[in-house]
Formats: sequence, C-alpha cells, structure tokens
Amino acid sequence: MTVAAALLVTAGLMGVLAPRQLLRLVARGTDPLVLLLTWLASAVSVVTTAALAVTLLLLPDHGSHALALAHECWSSLTHGMTPRVEATGGVVGLVLLVGLLSRLVVVSVRGARRRAGRRRDHLAMLRVAAHREPGSPATLWLDHDEPLAFSLAGTPGVVVATEGLHRRLTREQVDAVLAHERAHLRGRHHLLVAAGDAVATALPFLPLFRRAPAVVRELVELAADAAAVRACGVDAVRAALLGVSGNGTPGSALAMGRDSVEVRLELLATPRRRPDSARSLLAYGAACVAAMVIPVIAAFTGLLAVILVACH
Amino acid sequence: MHGLGELEAAVMDVLWRASEPMKVRDVLSDLDTGKQLAYTTVLTVLDNLHRKGWVQRELVGKAYHYEPTTSRAEAAANAVRELVNASGDPDGVLLHFARSASEHETELLRKALPRRSRKR
Repeated sequence: MTVAAALLVTAGLMGVLAPRQLLRLVARGTDPLVLLLTWLASAVSVVTTAALAVTLLLLPDHGSHALALAHECWSSLTHGMTPRVEATGGVVGLVLLVGLLSRLVVVSVRGARRRAGRRRDHLAMLRVAAHREPGSPATLWLDHDEPLAFSLAGTPGVVVATEGLHRRLTREQVDAVLAHERAHLRGRHHLLVAAGDAVATALPFLPLFRRAPAVVRELVELAADAAAVRACGVDAVRAALLGVSGNGTPGSALAMGRDSVEVRLELLATPRRRPDSARSLLAYGAACVAAMVIPVIAAFTGLLAVILVACH
Repeated sequence: MHGLGELEAAVMDVLWRASEPMKVRDVLSDLDTGKQLAYTTVLTVLDNLHRKGWVQRELVGKAYHYEPTTSRAEAAANAVRELVNASGDPDGVLLHFARSASEHETELLRKALPRRSRKR
C-alpha cells in the first residue's frame, strides 16, 4: 500500500513539476528536441508509474517480500491498510487506467482520421491554386503578396510558401524559411504535435498532459529554427523571422505570433553548442531513460527516507 | 485519381489564361499536357471542377461555356486564408512559420530566458 501510494505521489509530482523545469531548460539553450522527447517520455513515465502502483496493489504480497527482508519495520509500513482495502483500491485503479488508455487510443485514431481528411482537402485546393515545384519535399507556391510559409503533414509532406517571400526577403532568408519548414517534415513534427494533442484530450488532469499541445508546438518551432540555423546560419534565420513577422497587418494571424517570434529571436541570440550527432543521440537516450525511471527512483528514495526516520 | 488532379490544375491554367468563357473543345485544343486527351476526359475534368466550385458554366446554344469563378490571384488568396485559419486549428496538420499556439507558454519561456538577453 505504502509503496503504491509513494509511486502515485511521485507520478503526480512529476506531472505537476516537470513542465516548468523543462521550459527552464529550453531557455538555457538545451537542444529543443531532447526536451521534446523528454516531455513525451515523462508523460509515458507518469502513466507507467501509475500502472506499476496499481499492479503492486493487486499483487497478493505487493511484490515487496524482497524489500521486506531489508528491514523489519518494512512490514509495518507495507501493511498500512487491510488487504481488502488494498485489493479494492487496486481494482478501481486498474479500471481507471484501462479506461483512460482506451480513451487515449480512441482519441488518437479519431484524430488521425480527421487529420487525413483535412490534409486531403488542403491538397485538393492547393493542387489547383498553387504552382508545384518538384523536390523532396515538393514546394507549392501560391501567388500571394504576404510572405507566408507552412508545412503540411503527410507521406510525403509538402511545404507551402507564398511568392511574397521572394518579394520581401533575400535569397538566403527564403532558404532559411524553407529549411525551417523542411525540418518540420523531416522531423515528423506534425506527429509529435498530434501526440501532444491526443495526450491532452484523453488525460486532461496533470499540467504535464494538459499543457503538452502548446509546449510541443513551441518546441517543434524551436527545433526547426535550430535546423534552419545549421543549414543557413543564425543571421539568415533571424532576418527571416523579423521579415516575416514584421509584415503582418495588425489583427491578422501573424500579429498573434509576434510574441512567440520575439522569444524565438531571443533564443537564437542565446549561444548554443552545435550538437554533433553521436552526442545528441546519447542525450536523447539519456533524457528518455531519465524521464522513465525518475518517478520510481524518487518513490523508493522517499520510502527509504521514511524507513530510516521511522525505525531509528 | 492522381492523374485527374493534375489535369484539373492544367485545365484551370488554360481557363485562367483565356480572356473569355471557353467550350470544352477550346479547352482541349489549348491544353498542353504532352499527350492527346479525349474530349470526354476534359469534359469529366470540367464537370469535376464545376462540382467543386472552381468553374461556372453557361449553356450557349447546345454547348456549355466554362469560366473560372475566381481569378488566379483570388484563388491564391483564398488558399492562403484557408491555410492561415487551419494553422490555428487544434488538429496540427499544418505548421505555420511565424505562428505559435499559446501566449502562456511563450510567457513562461520569456521569464525563463537568461537575464543577459532579456535586458537587450
């Protein structure tokens, strides 16, 4: 009972505390992709930790006999409640967990279907209205004066851009914008965004889940910026962001993005180490593993502390 | 299906370049797709375009005359408007270069930025 409770508490704490810590790391110049993966891994970790807690409640000996040998007082701690209460708690937990996970699956499938429909509609319209420049990914050019760029998910995805980019930006800056959009497609950022949305819709109770959509959107922009900087240099990306956001008419969609563009500009000014691929792979792996085991370690550390205090 | 989509674009291109409504036969003779197309193919494509609202038609004598419902520039502007609106949708199928979803997260990030860069 106590172990299960400790696991649930740490899972909850992680769900509440992780968001702010992760955003702080973004601002310090940590690779946004590492944080993105850590965020999603943390979400998985909170769920699995909760599942572990439920399993412990349901196991007849609470899986604790190995630990019980460690200290005599363990048994008094593990049996804080009668077995009947624990079993009931376990069953309720199991039902809740299975219910929530099936909800997640339903939400994801529904979302995927809706997105496929949207994509078809957009492509049908663009096929007629835009001029297609072949490539991988292809770029669809719209003859429009406002400088705009989008990436449209899919296999293959496409970049959509307006001729306004050529009219308002230099060649290097246009390249930077296109590199940014291609990074979205190459990095499958639309899928990450979809995962964040599904998690928030299906499990809307902890900040870690609730804020996933906004944070994932923010982080994929930063990741794409970083990719564009690697391809075209920081000056071109900065100038492109300024050029594109400065031209929005007040009240238009662009004006809404201005705040976030300012933050992106400031982050571009923050010096960042150029990640080499071996080191970043290591970082991605370490971040995911850390996110997965932190709640369990925290729970057992907490319990150990309680044992030490209670039994001395 | 894919081929038909490309034909739609080619047919619209012909209609946009023309100064007046065109008959199917005129569209067929102006189409430059690299291969000879059947009259019925072009008719089907124009039918599809009419159903989707890209072209309007008027019966003159025995034949329909087709013309675009919007200019090419208007079509591009409509497409842009649709994309800008869709990039705010929560379905995440589109990502927009200079737009982000939330004021709240931006504010948190701004607060977390190192002082040095905030003072600028």
